[in-house]
Amino acid sequence: MILVTSDEIPGQPVGEALGMVRGSSVRARNLGRDIVATLKNVVGGEVEEYTKLLAEAREQALDRMQAQARSKGADAVVAIRFSSSQIASGAAEILVYGTAVKLSQAPTPG
Amino acid sequence: MTPTNPREPSRDELLAMAFVDGELDSAGLKDFEKRMATEPALAREVAELQKLELLARGWAPPEPKDSEWQRLEDELLQSTGWTLGWILLAVGGIGLGLFAAFEILTGEMAPLLKFFLAVTIGGLTVLFLLVLRGRLRTLPLDPYTEVER
Repeated sequence: MILVTSDEIPGQPVGEALGMVRGSSVRARNLGRDIVATLKNVVGGEVEEYTKLLAEAREQALDRMQAQARSKGADAVVAIRFSSSQIASGAAEILVYGTAVKLSQAPTPG
Repeated sequence: MTPTNPREPSRDELLAMAFVDGELDSAGLKDFEKRMATEPALAREVAELQKLELLARGWAPPEPKDSEWQRLEDELLQSTGWTLGWILLAVGGIGLGLFAAFEILTGEMAPLLKFFLAVTIGGLTVLFLLVLRGRLRTLPLDPYTEVER
């Protein structure tokens, strides 16, 4: 499935808009990782524990959005946007949404 | 789930691949979802394939600090330090918990307060164990734990 942040896919005209699709995920690490992250917060630098947490939530949200798009029979999702907010301390919430579309010409698999 | 020929995937494995790649038609998808709900081995197979797909999708070139981190983690001082730190923290935490429990039981507190404190702690412990049990049960089916960045 083609996923783009632009409103159109160059060279592949949109045949039909199937509506908005979205996926969200809220994930947390464990207490041990939170302790390490807190200590890293003191000394600075990248907090890999939370980078990983955000990446996990991002991929899961993307997969959920794609699953919804697939269930609508979409070939692609255009105008994808990411949004995040803080629900709980140490947890990452990612919301991803876009418009599921059917292309005029179905994309070749692969 | 075991392939009849080790070089060729079984029918279920092919179906699982098609499911992960979104290649099943709606009827096939419904059937497969029904089977996944009742066949834990099939669900685990799908989770494994999703994990592989995520790894391929999330591939990123190594950064200079990655190898330095790895070298650091391999040093005896670093690995021993982490182990020692966690052991001390765990022992301290357990000790503090036991001491608090002892104080609640033997300290000068209204019996009713003792009772409700013990009930609250007991309730929290039961809830925590249930959440932990749920997480451990679903962990093998969570492909996102392998995503790094």
